[in-house]
Amino acid sequence: MMDYHPLPQPDQIETRIKEDAMGAYFMMFATMAMGIPLPILNLVAAIIYYYVNRDKGKFVQFHTLQSLYSQIPVTLLNSGLVAWTIVNLVKDLDFTGFYWGYLVMVAAANLVYFVFSLVGAIRARKGLFYYFLFFGKLAYYQVYRIRPEGGQSVMRNKPPGP
Amino acid sequence: MKLSIQHQESYSRGELLLRTFFGWLYILIPHGFLLMFVGLWGAILQFVAFWVILFTGRYPQSMFEFQVGLMKWNLRVSARMYNVSDGYPAFGVKSTDEYTDLDIPYPEKVSRGLMLLRLFFGIFYVYLPHMFILMFRAWFVGILTFLAWWVVLFTAKYPNFMFDWVTGQIRWQLRVSLYMMYMTDTYPPFTGDELAEEV
Repeated sequence: MMDYHPLPQPDQIETRIKEDAMGAYFMMFATMAMGIPLPILNLVAAIIYYYVNRDKGKFVQFHTLQSLYSQIPVTLLNSGLVAWTIVNLVKDLDFTGFYWGYLVMVAAANLVYFVFSLVGAIRARKGLFYYFLFFGKLAYYQVYRIRPEGGQSVMRNKPPGP
Repeated sequence: MKLSIQHQESYSRGELLLRTFFGWLYILIPHGFLLMFVGLWGAILQFVAFWVILFTGRYPQSMFEFQVGLMKWNLRVSARMYNVSDGYPAFGVKSTDEYTDLDIPYPEKVSRGLMLLRLFFGIFYVYLPHMFILMFRAWFVGILTFLAWWVVLFTAKYPNFMFDWVTGQIRWQLRVSLYMMYMTDTYPPFTGDELAEEV
């Protein structure tokens, strides 16, 4: 049985912390903010945001990590679409039905991600938790799990072998 | 907003010459390179802040402090490049400086209507009138900076009125930036002088 740290309640969380947690979900707009059509930038922004803010407490850490994890599949899908489009344009290939199917799927995935992120941001602003499918549990497990004492690996010097 | 640049008793002629001939190498390139990336991050946060303000009416405090830190960093570098401060500017958004300081009060509320007004019409009622004057002012400040360079070289002193003009130019530009970045709701005054409430 795994033990977890107790979850803070909304009235125990400072406004500033709630805002920092909310900001994590807006990293999906990083590409748009920079005006460069490279989906990978969203992921880079999410990673930077996570490392800049993770020391601000477990609430922020949970939301930034959840945002970061959920960004990965969307980034992969978007990157695939961008790469496919560029290859088709450069090599003057036809945009097949398979391409359009993939495009619609990516658009749908982005829409779902957008809606979930928006809900996540609103909940975070209110000091609430919101668990995404799979990524929510993963982030919760990583952030709130109580690690056993001495569980962290300690580096030890050893004499040379025989 | 309170921007202060210390008017030193005397300025180092050696540093002045070093900055003039090698400043691009040891100040502009390293700081400019880093500021480019940190500035990109600042642009992302600014974009995010816009949406947050639109829905909540508040500028997220951490993002606000980051932008202030970035402005302080820019100020440190600008002060050296204008030769109004000696010493090497510190790196980083959390660093401080013995000659320059910037204090921007955090606004608890930001007017959303005013923010949209700035977004759509800011170019007309803020940038156009201010930049028009700042452009002419910048030419004059350029001439003053050139003259001040010689004065510092021979006397090791930066003349008062020249110093005030240069500092005023930086202050004025910063006030316009603050307003257009939604960090204050106060329309920037048409002056580079310190206002009564800032003293």
